[in-house]
Amino acid sequence: MHEAAVTQALVEQVRAALPERARLEVCRIEVGELEHLDGEVMGSIWRAMTAGTDLAGALLEIERIALRVRCGACAGEFVPEDKAILVCPACGAVRPEVLAGSGITLRSLEVEEGG
Amino acid sequence: MEIKVVENVMKFNDEFAHQNRERLKRAGVACVDIIGSPGSGKTTLLEVALERLRPGVRVGVIAGDIATTRDAERLAGKCAQVTQINTGGSCHLDANQVRLGMDELDLGALDLLIIENVGNLICPVGFDLGQDAKVGLFSVPEGDDKPAKHPRIVLEADLLVLTKTDLEPYVPFDRAAFERDLRSIRGDAPVLVTSATTGEGIDAWCEWLRGVAKGRAAPVNAGGAG
Repeated sequence: MHEAAVTQALVEQVRAALPERARLEVCRIEVGELEHLDGEVMGSIWRAMTAGTDLAGALLEIERIALRVRCGACAGEFVPEDKAILVCPACGAVRPEVLAGSGITLRSLEVEEGG
Repeated sequence: MEIKVVENVMKFNDEFAHQNRERLKRAGVACVDIIGSPGSGKTTLLEVALERLRPGVRVGVIAGDIATTRDAERLAGKCAQVTQINTGGSCHLDANQVRLGMDELDLGALDLLIIENVGNLICPVGFDLGQDAKVGLFSVPEGDDKPAKHPRIVLEADLLVLTKTDLEPYVPFDRAAFERDLRSIRGDAPVLVTSATTGEGIDAWCEWLRGVAKGRAAPVNAGGAG
C-alpha cells in the first residue's frame, strides 16, 4: 500500500506546478498497468490530503496506461491481453521490452485563473 | 485552462536514488536490492552467503523492516557492517531511507552493499534505491503461482531466486508450472534454484554476488529452474 507515499509526492508536485492565484479543478495523471497502484485508493487519499487546503475539491483523474511491449526477437509490438503472458504473438519468443505501461506521470492541471 | 506538466511523479524518490547511485559509485561500492515476500527467506539467503563471502568481499547490509532490529541482530557479526531501517509501517524502502541508512555505514570500508527490502513482493518493486542489481525471491512454500501473480518483478529483476527447495516434497509446489509461468513472462529470466538447508545453489548465489561486487553481474544459467 504505497499509494499514500505516491499521492503525497503528487500533491507536492502539483503545488509546485500550480501558478499563483490559480485554483486547481482537475489533476490528470497517467498510471502504467504495471504499477501496483489502486486508483480508488489513490483517489481517497488525494481527497483526504487536499481537504481543507488550497487544493480542496480538485478532482484527481487517473488514466490507466495499458502494457505495450516490443518483442526482443522479431521487434514486433503487441498489447498483451494478460500481463503475465508476454509471448510474442508473431514469433513465439518471450523477450518483452516494455514500451508503455510502467511509470506514473503527472500530465496536466486544469485550473481556473483567480482574480 | 489546462496546464501541461508531464513530470515523473516518482521523481521524489528517483532523485535520491540517483544521488545514492553516484555516492556508491564514488565509494566503489556495488549495491544489490533484495525483494521478496515476508518469510520467503531473504535473511537466511543472506546469512549463508555472508559467511562464505568473507573475507574476500566486504559486505554491508541495510535491513529494512516495519519494526524490530531482529534482522540486523541476526546478520551482525556475519558481515562487515549492518544497519536496520524501521519504516514504521511503510511497505517498502524508499531511496531517501536508504540514503539515511548509508549515513550509518562506512562505505569506504565496503565492496558490496546489500539492501534487504521490507518483506513485500509488490510495493518495493516500483522504488529505485540506487542499486546496481535487483534480486527477486520466490519460495517453494509460497506456491508455484507467484511469478504469474507478480510479473513486474520477473520483468525487472537481474536475478530471480527460488528458495527452500528442500520443502518441495512436503508442499504442493509444481516446479513445471512455476517454470512455465515464469518463462511466459520472460523467456531468458536468470533463475537460481536454492536451498539454504541443503546448500543447493548457494555456491552459484555467492558467485553471482561476487560478480556484482566486481562490477559485473555474472550471467546465470539462462536455462532456468529446470
